[in-house]
Amino acid sequence: MVPENLLYTRDHEWARIDGDTATVGITDHAQEALGDITFIELPKISQSLAVHGFLGSVESSKAASDIYSPVAGSVTEINKVLTVQPDLINKDCYGAGWLCRVKLTDPDPSKNLLSPAQYQQFLESNA
Amino acid sequence: MTQTDQDFVSQPKKTVLYDRHLALAGQSRLAPFAGYLLPLWYSGIPAEHKAVRTAAGLFDVTHMCVLGIAGPAALPFLDYLTTNSVAALTPGRAQYSYILDDHGHVLDDIIVYCLAPSRYMVVVNAANTQKIKAWSAQVLNTQTDLFSPGSVTVLDIRHESPGRVDLALQGPASLFALFRLIPSEYHLRLESLKTFELLHVDSPQIDLIIARTGYTGEKIAFELFVDPSKAPWLWDTLLDLCRDLNVIPCGLGARDSLRIEAGLPLYGHELDGPDLISPYQAGYPWAVKLNKPEFIGKTAIAAHAASFRSQIVRLSFPGEKGIRPIRPGDAVLDKFNTCIGHVTSSAGIHDTQIALALVLSGKIEVDQPIALYYASRNAAQTQLGRLPRPEQNMKLEPDLKGLVLPRFAKF
Repeated sequence: MVPENLLYTRDHEWARIDGDTATVGITDHAQEALGDITFIELPKISQSLAVHGFLGSVESSKAASDIYSPVAGSVTEINKVLTVQPDLINKDCYGAGWLCRVKLTDPDPSKNLLSPAQYQQFLESNA
Repeated sequence: MTQTDQDFVSQPKKTVLYDRHLALAGQSRLAPFAGYLLPLWYSGIPAEHKAVRTAAGLFDVTHMCVLGIAGPAALPFLDYLTTNSVAALTPGRAQYSYILDDHGHVLDDIIVYCLAPSRYMVVVNAANTQKIKAWSAQVLNTQTDLFSPGSVTVLDIRHESPGRVDLALQGPASLFALFRLIPSEYHLRLESLKTFELLHVDSPQIDLIIARTGYTGEKIAFELFVDPSKAPWLWDTLLDLCRDLNVIPCGLGARDSLRIEAGLPLYGHELDGPDLISPYQAGYPWAVKLNKPEFIGKTAIAAHAASFRSQIVRLSFPGEKGIRPIRPGDAVLDKFNTCIGHVTSSAGIHDTQIALALVLSGKIEVDQPIALYYASRNAAQTQLGRLPRPEQNMKLEPDLKGLVLPRFAKF
């Protein structure tokens, strides 16, 4: 599943750009591959992020995966409920499973990101 | 996201059940393991783990190497190659054992099955297949005074025709499942089969070696050795016939959590590996028969038996959602918060985490509290002062408090 209103990375993160803020998460492909997510490590508020820089990590019973930021900016909000309900990422990775919100330092973050069609194509060519 | 470990240096092989795995688990859940593509899970690791403990699970272990060892010198060869007493095996019996090198280091842990006088099956870990085949060949080529050429044949019977590959059916319902599969004249013998015994079902409908062995800790559990051409039929038939018994296919994830919960070692983690863990340290002194006149590595392992200082223990920690999973390399702390060892394997099982760890002997007791320090998982944590490689004797702040369990679980 690849929602049309988001942008993507080849590392299976998504970003929703709303003016000068972005909301960030991991895609359906990522949560599916991980299995039941049991633990999430989120960035700190006001932490600064670089494009493809380390954002946090997620662990399931069989894998631990680092998450990289799709955008550059500073963290304004984190989805704290994930620390006690990390499985929200499995259940609703594009909605309730959002990871954090970022105030963008780059006015045009989309240049580093894939469109839904490009991400879809990337998934198909790597199947 | 980092890619989960996909090592495509050489293309992984498909087992004879690949099509079933693709259909039941899907492409994204297949992972390379010991050179084969195998499913991590089908319905989910917790569900599969529970199924084995309460009903039964079916595992594709056809990737494990099955060696057929035969010939007039088969027995003395195996007694020389392995640590346990093969001479004590009568046809229909099996034993857990080790192959050591000249320094007494474990090359593999194995099960030796006696099919007939001078005819054995040895099941070798998939990851050690090439190593053990080369080692056996080397022993035979160099010890020609002990084993004259041609007096022992060693074949990979997965590739022979007729041949044998291994499927595992484990859990309390597995006996009932097998009753539905095999002709009734074999039922009494199957029911009376003791652990580490085997029986050959040789009927027109089915040719199966059933061994009461396994890697889940379940007492009612079997390994099924069948011709590779019949493995898909066996897989399908067991799942179809026994759906109402809740027999389900289980993947690598559940296989790992089950064996960890039971306390069973994995080569490279609780045996050999960077710490060169021995059978004694792993908790299997009885599988090394020092009273055998000779076997490879005997002198070295005998010296080790008298002097080893650390051993594998089984620990329990909380594992509810929100608690960081334990990983190999995490430090085990005694009641003074001193590091006495490190985790070798761990698994989350429902709301608990079970860890196997190599710790200094004599430092902890069953039913006593124990603590854990998480090693640094990434550069960000290291920058904040968390140690990536905590070492023995360091004093560390505990992250998690747990309990020492008995070495092996009883199910």
